[in-house]
Amino acid sequence: MSRPDTLRRTLAVARAEWIHNWRDPRSLAIIIALPIMLLLLYGYAINFELRELTFAVQDWDRSEQSADLIDTLARSDYFTFHSLVETGEQIERLIEGGEVRFAIVIMPGFGEQIAAGKTGRVQVLLDGADSTTAGIAQGYLEGVMRAHSARLMKRWAKSRGIPASAAQPPIQPEPRVLYNPELKTASFIVPGLIAVIMTMLAALLTSGCIVREREAGSFEGLASSPIAPVEIIIGKLLPYAGIAVFDVMLCIATGGLIFHIWPSGDRAALLVVSLVYLIASLSIGLTISSVARSHQVATLIAFLTTMLPTMLLTGFVFPVRSMPKLLQYISQMIPATHFLVVIRAIYLKGTGVGPYIREVTALALISLVFVVVAAKAFRKSLE
Amino acid sequence: MPRDGGPAIEVNALTKRFGDFVAVDHISFTIDRGEVFGFLGPNGAGKSTTIRMLSGLLLPSEGSATVDGLDVGTETATLRTRIGYMPQLFSLYPDLTTRENLEFYGGLYGVGDDAIVRRIEELTQTIGLQSVLDQLTGTLSTGWRQRAALACAIVHEPPIVFLDEPTSGVDQQARQQFWDLIADLAAGGTTVLVTTHLMEEAERCTRLGMISRGSLIALDTPRALLETLEGLVFVVDVDEPLAGVRALSERSFVRDVGLSGTRIRVRVAEDLSDVRARLGQALATAGIAVREIRPTRPSLEDVFVALVGDAGGEDQ
Repeated sequence: MSRPDTLRRTLAVARAEWIHNWRDPRSLAIIIALPIMLLLLYGYAINFELRELTFAVQDWDRSEQSADLIDTLARSDYFTFHSLVETGEQIERLIEGGEVRFAIVIMPGFGEQIAAGKTGRVQVLLDGADSTTAGIAQGYLEGVMRAHSARLMKRWAKSRGIPASAAQPPIQPEPRVLYNPELKTASFIVPGLIAVIMTMLAALLTSGCIVREREAGSFEGLASSPIAPVEIIIGKLLPYAGIAVFDVMLCIATGGLIFHIWPSGDRAALLVVSLVYLIASLSIGLTISSVARSHQVATLIAFLTTMLPTMLLTGFVFPVRSMPKLLQYISQMIPATHFLVVIRAIYLKGTGVGPYIREVTALALISLVFVVVAAKAFRKSLE
Repeated sequence: MPRDGGPAIEVNALTKRFGDFVAVDHISFTIDRGEVFGFLGPNGAGKSTTIRMLSGLLLPSEGSATVDGLDVGTETATLRTRIGYMPQLFSLYPDLTTRENLEFYGGLYGVGDDAIVRRIEELTQTIGLQSVLDQLTGTLSTGWRQRAALACAIVHEPPIVFLDEPTSGVDQQARQQFWDLIADLAAGGTTVLVTTHLMEEAERCTRLGMISRGSLIALDTPRALLETLEGLVFVVDVDEPLAGVRALSERSFVRDVGLSGTRIRVRVAEDLSDVRARLGQALATAGIAVREIRPTRPSLEDVFVALVGDAGGEDQ
């Protein structure tokens, strides 16, 4: 088996697979529409919550200015006024019971400060247990308050005959997050969601490509040719590696356009790490495709073996360090665990991959192992 | 690389078991280079299993075989470059054009970029693929599909070609054209092993192996096989062919009886006099209206039926 022959065989498989995808509307739909759809679906869930953002108010000030602020918030599209409360305990009870999403506490002297052209203090209490909603609520709340504040500032400056820029911002919200002080917000969720969607999608993409040949009859032609299992596996991986990276870009763009969350760090490095990572998922799909009896079964298994562990065991929802020891070990073997660390760092901390060389190495090793497993599974399936 | 010294294929007590089922039972034969060797037998007789063993797709349970001098059990990798295999089921990619399929198979067999262009040109000429070269193979008629599949099987110019039921589902005319291609291949020095269950095709082979229930029951040239047949063969046209077969099979002078299309074929002992009258009487007694009874040239099908009957087989 000479070198150029190996290359020729591998590329022949890659090219045929590439053409399959281009000519199959269903494949194209999965490649292009599915990642966007999944991210949007999640986005809709969040937006739905946002219409329901109810809040309570504890008003120590009882001034014209405090009434004005409450009125502004209540009339905003995002918030629904729940009630005025008297004590901090009442606020906690309402938040804990899920009756309100947040509460604002207007401090004594708020109205006087504003009238004097100074900054009035408003405390915002957020329910961090539902971090996504809390993060979004905080964002909107700050936006609405800033707008209100700017209006007040202009009015005040006008009444004094001085330029608005010389005035102090009259309202300064002080957010305090209850139950989840780190506040894992949408910016935390989106990169995780991309990791989960891509893990599932990658396995889904390749889960059909061997079992489909077996169902169609082209497998016999392939099996009787001199091509080696590893050449087939790599040939099948090549086009999907390109497709997977394209889908990562699609996810990043969708996350940016819908949630306004873009990776702040090295984007090129993110794509490279995604590629290294997704080879593992693609190989899992090929392994399943080698052993599955039918295309449908393969799809189902691909979905179950990637989606569930990725969501539950990798730190996407539950932090790894708070899991039982055994699960922690298991989570270390799931490639998504390491990928999540890297993608979140690139999104949130704005870093490159330099500090995460340990994770990237782990990903590369895991991917290599899965490629070998896929080739072995394929060889086994020939017997 | 050509190993022109020895026979193209040598099979020795080759056996394949699937659990308790013996699909191929100790068959032995030798195929010389340039032969068109036909494997004849009903579906499930073990033809495909034999071919799959010879292509290195299945390991034999027992016995041995060499193809182009290479052992099918141990030299599979090299063996695969020396054969072309056209599976029974259409195995080209339906969403690729004929040309793309040829390029794919060329790649699989390591045919170089320049060589593949030349080879596609060649195959287009010899197989007449011009009109379907850039058509998706999924949209081709069965006849064209099989031609495209043949082209893919020989894209790397193998000295030995296995064709598993290449003409099943193909109409009469396309079938004949396909067999012309097989003849051309053999004329060019290629050894062809072809399976079929159609007796009319079998007559175009240089030699025939008749296979029934995993065993080789006869092996010779079509002419020699025909000569082994004793007795006379008649075609009987009746209103109720199934009832006719039943009625005739009860008669002791009838050696074999079966349906061929809607007509009854019946073989009787040679020394029988006035066969037509006896057949007509047998049918009349059963209340079956006879349209025609005429003698006919014995076919390979009759040979096969006779052999299976002699081997003590029940209906197949």
